[in-house]
Amino acid sequence: MTAPENKKPLNNLLILIGIAAVLGVVPLVTQEAYFLHICILALLFGALASSWNLINGYAGIFTFGHQAFFGLGAYGSALMSMKLGLSPWVTMWIAGVMSAALGCLISLPVLRIRSIPHIAIVTLAFAEIVRIVCSNLTEFTRGELGLWGIPPFTSFSLPLIGPVTFDAAHKVAYFYVVVLLWLLIVGITYWILRNRFGFGLRAIRDSQIAAESLGLNLTRYKTMVFALSSMLAGVLGAFYAHYVLILTPSSALGIDIMIQIVAMTLIGGIGRLLGPTIGAFILTFGLEWLRGFGEYRMLIYGVLLVAIVMFLPKGLASMRFGALRRRKSTPSP
Amino acid sequence: MSRLELSRVSAFYGDAQALFDIDLVVEPGEIVAIIGSNGAGKTTVLRTISGLVRPREGSLQYDGRDLASTHPWSVVSHGIAHVPEGRRLFRDMSVQENLMMGAYHRNNAADGKVDLDRVYTLFPRLAERRDQLAGTMSGGEQQMAAIGRALMARPRLLLLDEPSLGLAPKIIETVFKTIREINSEGVGIVLVEQSAQLALETAQRAYLMENGRIVKTGSASDLMNDDAVREAYLGL
Amino acid sequence: MFSMPLPLFAEQIINGIVLGSMYALVASGLTLIWGTMRMLNFAHGEFYMLGGYFFFLLISSLGLPPALAVPLAISLVFLIGLAVQRLAVHPLLGRPQWEFSTLVATLGVSIFLQNAALHIWGERFKTVPYFINGTIDIVGMRLSYQRLLILAVAVVAMLAMWYLLRRTRFGMALRATAMDRDAAMLYGVNVYRVFTITFGIAAALAGLAATMLASINSISPWMGAPLMLKGFVVVVLGGLGSFPGAIVGGIIIGIVETLGVITWSSQWREVISFTVLILILWFRPWGLFGVKES
Repeated sequence: MTAPENKKPLNNLLILIGIAAVLGVVPLVTQEAYFLHICILALLFGALASSWNLINGYAGIFTFGHQAFFGLGAYGSALMSMKLGLSPWVTMWIAGVMSAALGCLISLPVLRIRSIPHIAIVTLAFAEIVRIVCSNLTEFTRGELGLWGIPPFTSFSLPLIGPVTFDAAHKVAYFYVVVLLWLLIVGITYWILRNRFGFGLRAIRDSQIAAESLGLNLTRYKTMVFALSSMLAGVLGAFYAHYVLILTPSSALGIDIMIQIVAMTLIGGIGRLLGPTIGAFILTFGLEWLRGFGEYRMLIYGVLLVAIVMFLPKGLASMRFGALRRRKSTPSP
Repeated sequence: MSRLELSRVSAFYGDAQALFDIDLVVEPGEIVAIIGSNGAGKTTVLRTISGLVRPREGSLQYDGRDLASTHPWSVVSHGIAHVPEGRRLFRDMSVQENLMMGAYHRNNAADGKVDLDRVYTLFPRLAERRDQLAGTMSGGEQQMAAIGRALMARPRLLLLDEPSLGLAPKIIETVFKTIREINSEGVGIVLVEQSAQLALETAQRAYLMENGRIVKTGSASDLMNDDAVREAYLGL
Repeated sequence: MFSMPLPLFAEQIINGIVLGSMYALVASGLTLIWGTMRMLNFAHGEFYMLGGYFFFLLISSLGLPPALAVPLAISLVFLIGLAVQRLAVHPLLGRPQWEFSTLVATLGVSIFLQNAALHIWGERFKTVPYFINGTIDIVGMRLSYQRLLILAVAVVAMLAMWYLLRRTRFGMALRATAMDRDAAMLYGVNVYRVFTITFGIAAALAGLAATMLASINSISPWMGAPLMLKGFVVVVLGGLGSFPGAIVGGIIIGIVETLGVITWSSQWREVISFTVLILILWFRPWGLFGVKES
């Protein structure tokens, strides 16, 4: 019932700190803009997929509309910083709270539904509503023409280190911010797994009925995890907005984002602490590597997705399915 | 002749071993009972015979044919029909459609009609309910329909899993009377039952299973008089 | 909407039914796949897209009449459906995590087919002419022959499906498999063959919808995804696995969208149907025709 990582909490904490340390050293080794850009995207998506994994992998609620919260955070933070002149450092968190509120809203109908495909389709429909609304409100968002003129993060100065500048030429600062965000999200996930809240989530995933009979308040747990997961996605969306500095509804709210999240999480291992991050690195770097194939790139990508689930089921052999398997394998009388 | 023989069969669900070295024989026309407590592996033995579970080791022969390498959907055409635990009727099909599914593998409508009449003679209750959706019938009627569906397959060996489960005593009596009738026409029967009393009264021979192993075997009367069996399974 | 003259209103309702009947074709394939294999097919839109291209090629390159091009195009889509099921879905079905792995596999197939179409046929939108031109005036309603023909084809296709499911040996096997896979196997149904053929039929239904809509919408590599999404909305609304649910759900969404578009604007089309879905599921979480399951 518990993930392998829970059995060795110290080891996992050490691994996490180790990874963060390695990541922290990367810009000291290379400051090559393209390489850092890919790393930033991989970490961003790794963090985003981890925030989704919180609902899906741990609470077992398969949503397919996570891009709504990412996009809302992106547009929310961008518009607030543009129209109200607030610092992106502030709007980022306001946008996160907005996404959390939206997460609570969509959790209302979702909480009434238990079947996996129904939840997937309802959340997808919801995300599409958000995308189309964003695309149609052209006076605010400029629609598919794209929202540009988004301010980058405000530069500041740190003691000992000196000025920290954020602009297109300086990826290093963005890199450290995304590492911190990633660490925050994975850390929260890790922390949640180790307390009572995480126990409640896993109980929901393993058996709704059993969780209810244990006296767990399912509605409260689900709403909380929805809000938390949406908030984290919103903050990441805000980071994305102030990093790429131009947003379109299809790039920030499109179903492609969700497809990436699902693929990354499944390839890395659903319900595993580092699974989504591993999957994000494999897919992001893989896609870049496939650029060498020119116009065949996406064809190969499609085939690879099929091949990975077909031939590397170990990537999928996660605690979620492990638990299911064990339950099914109880010999019947 | 149609003899079923399992020798040293072991089977797994995922990584968990469910059956250990099962040796079991059913002679043609014989009623053999498998008794034991919940989770002993009785159902798994039946599921292995009908191909739903693949044995990992050992041999599984029927009529001199290797069943272990037969597709689960081909087992029925070798003369083995399985009435699974909980009946497992096709809920949203009518009773008659359920019965016709029993004859599906023969793909012969005329034969199917003949057998249908036979089943309706055996279970007049089903004739009355032929157009009713199977899922809406009572437990006893569903059990009759499930046995009827199996008979439609013209089996020489019938696998019955917990036919008494959830039924009122009076209906159990009817069901078991029918089982003996079917057997008297030469159909071999493997009877899995939690109610050891009922099983041993019906069968000629019996196997006792515990934790995926066969721990005792003998004639039904031997097991009935066995002190350990009497104490643990007959409550005497 | 409420100030609209009655004949115009009726005309829009009929247009909604025509559109809805096409949604129903796409959705019924999804519902068949869910009903038998218990999986969501995310490559379904691409079968629709391929149906459109095959139809276009048969008409414009080979100069075939629509009466020949339609059955040929859907046969080709059927074969591709069989191949996709065998190669990308079948190997996953026996495994414990198939519910999710099939989803990613069909997403992969979808990306592959979409980009293959882009590669082979290019970005330019293709169009085909109407099968029949002209309109007919009935009690003040003006209806185009093309749309009436589409409706007729949809009705024939649905009746054929009903016959297949209810009156044929394969239909018995399919329904038995959907209700209880193990029991179907015990009584001689090769469920894996049922899966493959069902997948092919579902693909062909999507292809049929594309050939019908080809003259109204244009053909492009990206035409499938919105239709697939609409199809999912329809099946969830109607009740997953329910064939009548797919038909009724499709028609409801078709009418709601048509009326919504003339009341507001076409850019809110999807918002309207998706909102209807969320509202209906609020009150009936298992859909209109679905069975409540935990």
